[in-house]
Amino acid sequence: MKKTMLAAAAVLALATPAFAQDTVRIATEGAYAPWNFLNDAGEPAGFEIDLGNAICETAELSCEWIINDWDSIIPNLLAGNYDLIMAGMSITDERLETINFSDNYFPPDPSKFVAAAGAGLDFSALSGARVGVQGGTIQAGYAEENLGGANTIVTFSTADQAMADLAAGNLDTILADGAYLEPVVNASNGALEFVGEDVMIGGGVGAGVRKEDTELKATVDEALATLKADGTVDALIAQWFDGMGPFFSE
Amino acid sequence: MTHFRTVKPLPVLQEMLQPRKSGMFEDLAFWLGYITNGKHLTWYASFQFTIYAALLGGALAVVFGLTGATLKNSRFFVLRLVGSTYSSIVRGVPDVLFFLFFPLAFEQGVEWLVSTQVCSPEAIAAQTAPWPPCREANWFLGTTEYLLLASVSLGLVYGAFATNVIHGAMRAVPAGQLEAARAYGMSTTQVLWRVHIRQMWVYALPGLSNVWMLIVKATSLLSLLQIADIVLWADRLGAPNFLPTVGLVHDDWRWRYYLVLFVFYILVTWLSERAFEYLMRRTGRGILSEVRT
Repeated sequence: MKKTMLAAAAVLALATPAFAQDTVRIATEGAYAPWNFLNDAGEPAGFEIDLGNAICETAELSCEWIINDWDSIIPNLLAGNYDLIMAGMSITDERLETINFSDNYFPPDPSKFVAAAGAGLDFSALSGARVGVQGGTIQAGYAEENLGGANTIVTFSTADQAMADLAAGNLDTILADGAYLEPVVNASNGALEFVGEDVMIGGGVGAGVRKEDTELKATVDEALATLKADGTVDALIAQWFDGMGPFFSE
Repeated sequence: MTHFRTVKPLPVLQEMLQPRKSGMFEDLAFWLGYITNGKHLTWYASFQFTIYAALLGGALAVVFGLTGATLKNSRFFVLRLVGSTYSSIVRGVPDVLFFLFFPLAFEQGVEWLVSTQVCSPEAIAAQTAPWPPCREANWFLGTTEYLLLASVSLGLVYGAFATNVIHGAMRAVPAGQLEAARAYGMSTTQVLWRVHIRQMWVYALPGLSNVWMLIVKATSLLSLLQIADIVLWADRLGAPNFLPTVGLVHDDWRWRYYLVLFVFYILVTWLSERAFEYLMRRTGRGILSEVRT
């Protein structure tokens, strides 16, 4: 009995420091440039990292970035491994069933189709095409639902892998966030082009937060309101997304 | 339904993905700079995780192996049953599965134990996630914790193989040696440690070197436990990049990084073989010449 108690005490002692919640841990994917990526120094960088740090500074929080794969990013938030998700995640009704979101810090962004220039896809009756999406995204859900019957939907664990497969000629088209595709298409010297019609899915991008963390959500929202009003959010969007915007300041 | 149709490759995009050609020395300097940037240095540093996991896992496998073999040789039926159950069941479970199962089960076990101490009924009621029972009971596992759990998993899985190897080696020690030791008046413990286990190594080492190689191979699974190990970094570094703001624009280069990992593992294999040859010579000193290699 004494031994069991000792073991329990040892386990408690071992585990206790991890329970202290002094810092806010922010999870990001680190593979979705220019939203979030690992820079040459191997550290998280990008629009959301700058914005997250600005939020933390404004709200006087100490923050720590955690890299987590996209497909387990919501489960690990729920388990409590971190407190916020800033990973280019769109606010959708489906996600709102399990987690909550801060106010959006990027306006609703049209999802776009991209294909090789002159591929001549007939979007009015798309069939037999190979459509690439990143798994677990709003585009994946949309593609399965609307294009899944007549076409092959190919899912990738990161958006960049989908792009690589399109470049290699294994896909006919990719459906992804416009803000992610725009810089890639611009950098392709006309090899890639937007095709078909844009699709509006999702209610903008916000920071994911557990439902019970109402206090943290309020803190983040307040900081975001300040940063939107003083033009910081717009400046960061313009900086990372080729002069897009302004969206939030008057 | 799945059909492969090759869409015409995109020459312009392919060209865009090629690094700019310039003089040889500029090239050399560029690539030297590239492979020594922070991202790559982090990758090189992550080799330590693989090495730690292999060494600790290997040491634990021997410990579990010795324990298992002792249990299997025990006079008591229950202990024999524990030993043989361990070696037969754990050997049959795929290492990937055990690698995923054990740390998760251990983590949740600890969280359950902690939750019985720290969770108030209100906190349990307020918890929305299915697990842990309350937020305070969540155990955040960092790299160190996962590395320890990974090593223990490796030790447990390959300890089951080592159990059989050592069990067999114990039986291979000539009975005459033990009889002679007893005739000299050694106690049972002395016979076990000074003669039986000392001589056992010669028979066990070839089998243990196999087990060691399996452990080394299994260290490539570390990234399954969210350890940013050599495989994960090879994936990240090799992932295609299309934006100059992010770094060098390049195509899917993963195979190049995997190639480096191949070379690393081959090097480890070569070093291990040398080390085991040395150990064989050492443990074989003064023992029957026919078992020496």
